[in-house]
Amino acid sequence: MADTTTLSNPLREGIRIHRTPDPCAMVIFGASGDLTKRKLIPALFYLARERMLPAGFSVIGCARTRATEPSFRTEMGQAIKKYLKLAAESDAFVESFGEGIYYVADDFSDPAAYEQLKTLLDRLDRERGTAGNRLFYLATPPSFFPVIVKHLGAAGLAKPKLPEESWTRIIIEKPFGRDLSSARELNRVVTEVFKEEQVYRIDHYLGKETVQNLLVFRYANGIFEPFWNRRYINHVQLSVAEDLGVEDRGSYYEEAGLVRDMIQNHVLQLLSLVAMEPPATFDATSVRDEKAKLLRSIRPLSPDQIDEFTVRGQYAEGWVGGKKVPAYRAEPKVSPTSTTETYAALKFYIDNWRWADVPFYLRSGKRLPKRVSEISIQFRRVPHLLFKGVGTDGIEPNLLTVNVQPNEGISLRFCAKLPGATMQIRPVQMDFRYGESFGAPPPTAYETLLLDCMLGDATLFNRSDAVELSWELVDPILAHWREQGAKGLAFYQAGSWGPAEADALIEHDGRQWHRV
Amino acid sequence: MAGLIEPIGLGEPRPANVAELESELSALWRRAAEDPAAENAVTRACTLTLLIYVESDEAAYEVTNLVAEVTRQNPCRAVIMMLEPEATTAGMEAWVSAHCHLPVAGEKQVCSEQITIRARGEAGQGLASVVLPLAVSGLPIFLWWRAGDFSPPPYFDEILRVTQHVIVDTARFSPSGRHLQDLAAWVQRFSGKIQLTDLNWSRITPWRQLIAQCFDSPDRRPYLDRLSEVRIEYEQDSVRLVTQRAQGLLLTGWLASRLGWDFLRSERRDEAQPRVFYFKSAAGTVKVVRNLKRVDNACGVCFTIELRAEGASAARFSFQRGPDGKVVRTLAEVPGSLPMGRSVRLEVLDEVEILNEELKLGVRDRLYEEALSVVARMIAS
Repeated sequence: MADTTTLSNPLREGIRIHRTPDPCAMVIFGASGDLTKRKLIPALFYLARERMLPAGFSVIGCARTRATEPSFRTEMGQAIKKYLKLAAESDAFVESFGEGIYYVADDFSDPAAYEQLKTLLDRLDRERGTAGNRLFYLATPPSFFPVIVKHLGAAGLAKPKLPEESWTRIIIEKPFGRDLSSARELNRVVTEVFKEEQVYRIDHYLGKETVQNLLVFRYANGIFEPFWNRRYINHVQLSVAEDLGVEDRGSYYEEAGLVRDMIQNHVLQLLSLVAMEPPATFDATSVRDEKAKLLRSIRPLSPDQIDEFTVRGQYAEGWVGGKKVPAYRAEPKVSPTSTTETYAALKFYIDNWRWADVPFYLRSGKRLPKRVSEISIQFRRVPHLLFKGVGTDGIEPNLLTVNVQPNEGISLRFCAKLPGATMQIRPVQMDFRYGESFGAPPPTAYETLLLDCMLGDATLFNRSDAVELSWELVDPILAHWREQGAKGLAFYQAGSWGPAEADALIEHDGRQWHRV
Repeated sequence: MAGLIEPIGLGEPRPANVAELESELSALWRRAAEDPAAENAVTRACTLTLLIYVESDEAAYEVTNLVAEVTRQNPCRAVIMMLEPEATTAGMEAWVSAHCHLPVAGEKQVCSEQITIRARGEAGQGLASVVLPLAVSGLPIFLWWRAGDFSPPPYFDEILRVTQHVIVDTARFSPSGRHLQDLAAWVQRFSGKIQLTDLNWSRITPWRQLIAQCFDSPDRRPYLDRLSEVRIEYEQDSVRLVTQRAQGLLLTGWLASRLGWDFLRSERRDEAQPRVFYFKSAAGTVKVVRNLKRVDNACGVCFTIELRAEGASAARFSFQRGPDGKVVRTLAEVPGSLPMGRSVRLEVLDEVEILNEELKLGVRDRLYEEALSVVARMIAS
């Protein structure tokens, strides 16, 4: 065995290729679940095959299911082949990746299982050179988060194995709490065991290329920042639409609802990126400081404002993509008298110098006509009509649209004169699409975020204060709706753009939802 | 994702005139936009000017097809400069065309433009006067030297003056190795002014990454300081022999420069024997053996690198790509551990893939400059 003195690797320096993390092992709790098979393992396999993971990278699956290591490897191999949208995969890669997959059966509350895990991690350090670096991923139902965290702490697995030389990190899947008090409690449990800088709260929306590009767009282009304020922007809309219903997640959705599932995390995160002040540097602390500052500036809705500033809806029977779909209340494991919201539209104001009086309209829903996420920034109309014979209605205000999914890109609408002797003005669109402009599909959000975490870059992960601030904003709304029961719940036909009340919410201000 | 590439409006060669070329390009865009067969609007996109130097009609034709692929990821104005200095009749003519990528339904069609200039005889001396006004203002200029040895004639000076990046391919250089020395000298001369990229160096970047990854673990890292032998093996009868030979030299130059080895001497008893280079490291002497291996149906994809650390705790690290040309199997054998292997994808990258990456990066690579400098010393010995 060679000396284990820490030395930098001179061969690493200056290689102009994907960032490769330190050697490490990743432990997935909830390894028999859908997330592991659909997203995590395919993303890790892709990264490994493309040489973006370190040599000796190992995955340990932990789940309550009784499985053997060979059967777990086979299952993961099948998941890779099934879910990775790539041409026929060479079995050699799958087999090679499988060599680094291990399994520990764990009901998450048995201390012996954590000892077994520790022994295995130590063995991997010796045999596969994982260097004491560990990444824990909580992909279990949220009720297991505190249990696992406490046991990791008790087994001595939360602290870096070699202080100053190795790292230990933990990724926690959403939902992070179901309200403010449970989020605070979970933060307390987690930070009793792990330091905040070890904790990576994942929101896969933040791993999307366009979301990152939003920061580049704002801060790498000098022409936009001067206009990014109340003086030039009329209002902002954030739309996150899904055509799917609750599928087989009825019991989860009954507990969660749309606001917990989408608004509290994805939509408010997007909002914070759109509206935050420029960070001093592009690092985790600066970016997350600014996001938290912005969330803190959002004016909370007072109880008497909630009915005026929010709309909640639930889908009724309808047609989506040419297929007849049932009402939410007729979905499996959903109460026939459920008042859970599957749609929400909200209006927020941000109380700071940049955004005073600029409304931010947020809407999200299930069983809408299509799956699309978009941020629309509508600029103010021109102050004075210069062209005779052209009504102000003919001059559409400029609109900057950030498409988050499915076609990631940015477009700008501006006015141009139609060719001809008369002065006719029409809006035209200037598009930038990732797939078209760079010809290569962007990496998936999980690939980006897993790699970032292994590299110790927390910029695209949520910090505890941001999580709590988001809950502070939505908690009163949820409480009010709970009190109201069925009163005020608007129904919309599946396949429509939501309830008419949502249109009324924005039309009341003389505006309209942007057609996404 | 864009679909097939559709060349449009291939113009007729005519005497090169900048104003006419620009006006012809405008007409081309108008025609594309008005094409009744086109269901979608046409978007013109440009991120750089790509000047391409070729030496024959065949090369220009070949490069036109490559440019069509390049513009998928790097929308640009491409200017193909075809020089025939030996031609007896002097003259310069040019024509324009565009590369459009057929979009999926509902998406916009993105097109890039290409101008081809053919200069015969002494007309080549006026090349810069046509090329420079055609460069898109405000965007970087890349010169892709897609010919043999990199030896720009004096009348290229004006073009080089405004060029930010030069792209060469040592796989296309003559086998003597002398031109690698010339290239090293050129790099020194233009250091800091023009960034040089070698596509052949980019081909070995994934190999360098794989080698580096083997020594990331703190308990593997000390073996780097005790390396005593490096073996680089490739196919003897390969059609890509020149490519692989230069790659072997560059890999050696990279290891030596990164690990602080001083070149001592080279040795080759006869043509049938492997070439051996000796370096001095802090731990002693390092022997680098370049071995040509006989492989049935050699096609230039087999490549093996083996690093050995001798002494009390001997270790071996190997990286091998077999005849399938897609998978590299790595194996680390160190004392106290079971041998650890893995398979990763490392296909022979095609020219367009590498070029696209380089056009996106567009940064100076000091590592290459240092490796090339070691190679120049190795060749001179």
